[in-house]
Amino acid sequence: MDPTTSMYVAQGIHGIAYGMVLFLIASGLTIIFGMMGILNLAHAAIFMLSGYFCYQIIFLTGSFWAGLVLAPIGTAIFGIFLERVFMRSIRGAGHLGELILTLGISLVILGLVKIFWGTQSLPMQVPDILQGMVNLGGLDYPIYRLFIIGMSLVVLILMVLLLYKTRLGKIVRAAVSDRDMVNALGINIPLVFMLVFGAGCWLAGIAGVAIAPILTVFPGLADQVGMDAFIVVVTGGFGSLAGAFVVSIIFGLLSSYGVQFISQLAPVLMVIFMAIVLSIRPNGLFGVKE
Amino acid sequence: MMKKIIKPILWLALLVILIFFPKLFGIYYTNVFVTFAIFATYAVAVNVLLGYTGLLSFGHAMFFGFGGYGTALALKHIDGIALMPAIGIGFLAAMLLALVLAPVVTRVSGTAFAMVHLAFGQLFYILALKLRNITGGEDGIGNFPIPAFTIPGLISFPMKGDPVNFFYLAMVLLGISLWLMWFFTKTPFGQIQVGIRDNEKRIDYLGYKIPQTKAIIYVVSGAFTGLAGSLYGLFHNLVSADGSLGAMISFSPIIAAMVGGVGSFFGPIWGTAVFQVIEELTHRFTDRVELVMGVTLILVVMFAPSGIMGFVNTMKMKWHAYTASKAKMEKTS
Repeated sequence: MDPTTSMYVAQGIHGIAYGMVLFLIASGLTIIFGMMGILNLAHAAIFMLSGYFCYQIIFLTGSFWAGLVLAPIGTAIFGIFLERVFMRSIRGAGHLGELILTLGISLVILGLVKIFWGTQSLPMQVPDILQGMVNLGGLDYPIYRLFIIGMSLVVLILMVLLLYKTRLGKIVRAAVSDRDMVNALGINIPLVFMLVFGAGCWLAGIAGVAIAPILTVFPGLADQVGMDAFIVVVTGGFGSLAGAFVVSIIFGLLSSYGVQFISQLAPVLMVIFMAIVLSIRPNGLFGVKE
Repeated sequence: MMKKIIKPILWLALLVILIFFPKLFGIYYTNVFVTFAIFATYAVAVNVLLGYTGLLSFGHAMFFGFGGYGTALALKHIDGIALMPAIGIGFLAAMLLALVLAPVVTRVSGTAFAMVHLAFGQLFYILALKLRNITGGEDGIGNFPIPAFTIPGLISFPMKGDPVNFFYLAMVLLGISLWLMWFFTKTPFGQIQVGIRDNEKRIDYLGYKIPQTKAIIYVVSGAFTGLAGSLYGLFHNLVSADGSLGAMISFSPIIAAMVGGVGSFFGPIWGTAVFQVIEELTHRFTDRVELVMGVTLILVVMFAPSGIMGFVNTMKMKWHAYTASKAKMEKTS
């Protein structure tokens, strides 16, 4: 493969890897929004928190795999705690109240993280098996990014199976379309809410762990990646998983090729893409008009 | 009858206090008060959009920053520009930005509106950091010349390095903006926006054009935010990406409006005052402003969802109910 083509291919895989991570965050966000009507502004902070959990677990046990499994679970438990204590008590206060509450939660998480771990970037080592390069038909590519793509695909397939093949998934999809009716049919909606919120935080947690070795863990992580995830959800259409997936991959590619060609202004591309989409379809690419 | 007499007296007292403020409280508190007044105006401008029209913007810092950068760039690059035109350029820059954005943003509402603004706000923040040759990157534009405020042939007040003169200028400009916004919400047009907040469909059926109405309010809110930003830049003699365009700058007026009471005109001013006090106090003990702000937000949403003004009103109602029931009891016994 000649150098130019291999550069394009490498950037493409980079973009898909980043897009998959974005999708992990955005999918949790969009499911929670579709079902509970809450735009969880703390989602980005939760994503960052998972990176810190992972750092702490690696620090204590020395094993990356332990961090990979335990940190998202810890994040999910934290998410369930948030849902039980805060979200539930302000149900019915309107969108504004929920937005402000989740904004407050994210500020508190940010403040606490700075107290416990400081403001410097914490590097994270991946195990030897994931380090180094792999040869893809003449192109040397870092294994770890391929690992991210593979792991995200596994999670994605699991999620689709869970949503479309099980009874629980059926309930969740029904609740997305009409919460009150499902409640009236005798299904314990608050419990389902709690599970969905936990699952969304678990997805964000996986994304946090996956991206931590690449970008290192620092308090600005929430703003940097989380903002992209919010833009994905808005552009893809609230509550639409397919939209979140398509837009995540587009954004991943936009950002990696953008860095290649106009490195300074790459983040601008996404916002321009969003502006174009929203001015044609105000409810997002796959959004349904309310 | 009593109210009619008391109200002008109170306003007069406020005016007298403001006039003698620098003499009474010294330079430090004069500067604190200027910051308070700037952010109060900013919060009121945000609340015109949020409380009266029900549009939550998470990116109003872009207007604030446009005002600041507009004024700073004008003062830096245009030779011999007077002070008022420079402030006017900041005002117009923010207004122009609002005009350009209005066609896109008035089509969405609710959560999407908030998120679109978050994205645009972030966009301008990044642009200010990256376009180093225009905005000065992380350092911002500092130490630009500030001309004296002059009325030709009459008076001339030096502004640079003279906080007392700047205090009077800021008070006059901010007072006029507050009055204009208050007046705006009282006009029939201002009443339509309350209607849009409460029942958009009905206003639509009544024959008003919703996107255009929203756009006008949006531009008004953006322009006055720009004025506040312009004065903020002049006050510090510095505009920077973090100081004028950062996400915290977008959030703080929303927080102030929430704490003070969304939907009441004077609520955000009280909210800003409360926050100023909290910030002053926390800065003395700790630098964890985010944590304090976050906790305040959570507490307000959970325990006083309609802010100070709402809380006061509920208390008033309870007190009236209590006195009325007491009077009734006395009558029957």
